[in-house]
Amino acid sequence: MKHYRLNILLAALAVAGCKKSEPAQEQPRPAEPKKHAVGLVTDVGGRGDHSFNDSALRGLELWAAGVAFEGSAYKPVTREEVRRSLAEDVARLEPPVEPLGVRPLVVQSKAQEDYEPNLQLLVDQGAALTVGVGFMLENAVEAVARRNPGSKFLLIDSPLLDAKGNPVKLPNVRTVVFREEEGSFLVGALAGLVSKKQVGFVGGMEIPLIKKFEAGFKAGVKSTAPKTAVLSSYTGTFDNVAAGKQIAQDMLAKGVDVIFHAAGSDGLGVIQAVKEARSSGKEVYGIGVDSDQHHLAPEAMLTSMIKRVDLAVYQAARDLVEGKLAATDVVLGLKEGGVGYALVRAEFPGKAEALAKIEELRRRIVAGEIDVPSNSAELEAFQAAP
Amino acid sequence: MLEVLEALLFLAFDYAPALVFASLGAVLSERAGVVNVGVEGMMRAGAFAAAVGALVVPTPLGVVLGMLAGACLGAVHAYLCIRWRSEQVVSGMAINLVALAAGTFLLEALFAPTGTPPIAQLERWSLPLLKEVPIVRAASGHSALTYLALALPLAFHLALWRTAFGLRVRAAGEKPAAAETLGVSVSGVRYACVVGAGLLAGLGGATLSTSTLDRFEHHMPAGLGFMAVAAMVFGRWTPLGAFAASAFFSLGNALRIGVASSAPAVLQVVPQGFLLALPYALTLLVLGLQRRRGAAPAALGVPYDPETR
Repeated sequence: MKHYRLNILLAALAVAGCKKSEPAQEQPRPAEPKKHAVGLVTDVGGRGDHSFNDSALRGLELWAAGVAFEGSAYKPVTREEVRRSLAEDVARLEPPVEPLGVRPLVVQSKAQEDYEPNLQLLVDQGAALTVGVGFMLENAVEAVARRNPGSKFLLIDSPLLDAKGNPVKLPNVRTVVFREEEGSFLVGALAGLVSKKQVGFVGGMEIPLIKKFEAGFKAGVKSTAPKTAVLSSYTGTFDNVAAGKQIAQDMLAKGVDVIFHAAGSDGLGVIQAVKEARSSGKEVYGIGVDSDQHHLAPEAMLTSMIKRVDLAVYQAARDLVEGKLAATDVVLGLKEGGVGYALVRAEFPGKAEALAKIEELRRRIVAGEIDVPSNSAELEAFQAAP
Repeated sequence: MLEVLEALLFLAFDYAPALVFASLGAVLSERAGVVNVGVEGMMRAGAFAAAVGALVVPTPLGVVLGMLAGACLGAVHAYLCIRWRSEQVVSGMAINLVALAAGTFLLEALFAPTGTPPIAQLERWSLPLLKEVPIVRAASGHSALTYLALALPLAFHLALWRTAFGLRVRAAGEKPAAAETLGVSVSGVRYACVVGAGLLAGLGGATLSTSTLDRFEHHMPAGLGFMAVAAMVFGRWTPLGAFAASAFFSLGNALRIGVASSAPAVLQVVPQGFLLALPYALTLLVLGLQRRRGAAPAALGVPYDPETR
């Protein structure tokens, strides 16, 4: 009797386990030719983070596969809808972004230990290309890529590193990193133009990746408002909304009127604080990160620093379909359209001139006339220069 | 300089209420002799229920729902600890784990994995006279819960030390057998206190999701419940002590944040991680320095069994 019960329990667990890790998958249509399957493993942020993972999913599902995830299944969307989802600068790209007819296989990670099995699962399911979203998947992508030399991988936000932190290369892994400092520079320049007192920067964990945002932002502020002070602070986490809010409140009370965050979920708290200050009558703005975060606080958002993870994923899928997916280390900056800033919807005096100035700065960065600092040492050199 | 001080006070006023409510809850339960490490879980239930409730009913009612959710978990804890005399720490930890998992599961099943949709936040009161005066105006612009958190500890103190019910609560925690011989129902008192603790912890959680933020976010309360237990110990199991400890922790936290933005050079000398760990380190220190059991109620953690003496 006892064994019988145990068996039922185990069977139930097994079913539950399968269900959880089974990728959401489109029904194959028999009439069409064989589609390339492209897998994607999110980091623990998962679907619905309004930022990094959602951007990667958009690149794969909406742009490359031409489907939308609704409820628990994929529903096809028209080419027109895909085109409408593109931001202005992406829509201008050549060749145009349009569905490639790949088949998406998506697995969300619940914990850090899930990364490796999830990647392997997608390889076993026949994914020709598997995307690991976020630097936290670096080890897992490396391990699975070594084990499956016949499959291709895309790692977002980090090069492959050996145990000592030196870059390594694998013949079947493409990596993509972004020049976040360049996008941050532009939003910093805008913040400098809009701010009447001081500007603030709120970071998540104090790691080199986030330091790039800070350095670029500070340099941007300096380029348009050399006298404006920049307060900067780190929450030390990416998942403590209250900490983000407190830091922002502290800055707002000290006279900061534009705050840029690069703090993951903590940033929601930053935006919350800005929203509250605004509803109490203060003329303050927030600047979002990664995706366009305008919808989180429509009145209070100045713009967002955009990181085109979607484009990186889409381009890898296109290269796969065209049979030219090379194992390169890609760096996407302003020039490549990999970073940028979201449409500025807020109205403020001198908006047209400010935007013209930002566009001019963008042009100069693309032309290589401005070398945007990406760490504190370079920032000091930048600030020391006239 | 003035605005730096003002920012510090404002932050403390905003951050402290959740901690004050939860630590008062812990005091209530432990004064009656029931160890309560389940505060974290009860806060999570409160935060979740309040946010979900506020999606359909007005937010103040959502807060009440949050309190009730905390009380439900409190009732479970009470039933296990009083009716079945289970190990109280284990029951508390079980409640934490269940609340963590259930919150995540329900959140994903009903909404998105990362949080509920935004709700109407509790109204912030702008106090007409106060807001003109420098420094003091830091007390203006908070939700009603902040002012409740200022008043409740004193009321609680009076109730515990100046009323017959308070005497019974303390007796149930110090010498339950003696209380029972005088006709006090130890089980009844303990049930009331543990459920009351759930109400208060639920209120603390609801503060997070309706006043601090305008939604339930999947990490809530992110360790604040354990901080509340620490505040209770630091405050030597008294309402005013727990309030002072909560205020101290909140001010310390505000100070850390204020220093980071105003005087970054200080953080080159004192690492931020050290400051983050400070409340817990201080609590350990207090625990280490006090005499054995110290200020804790004598019968704390001992299930009451009328058959023994």
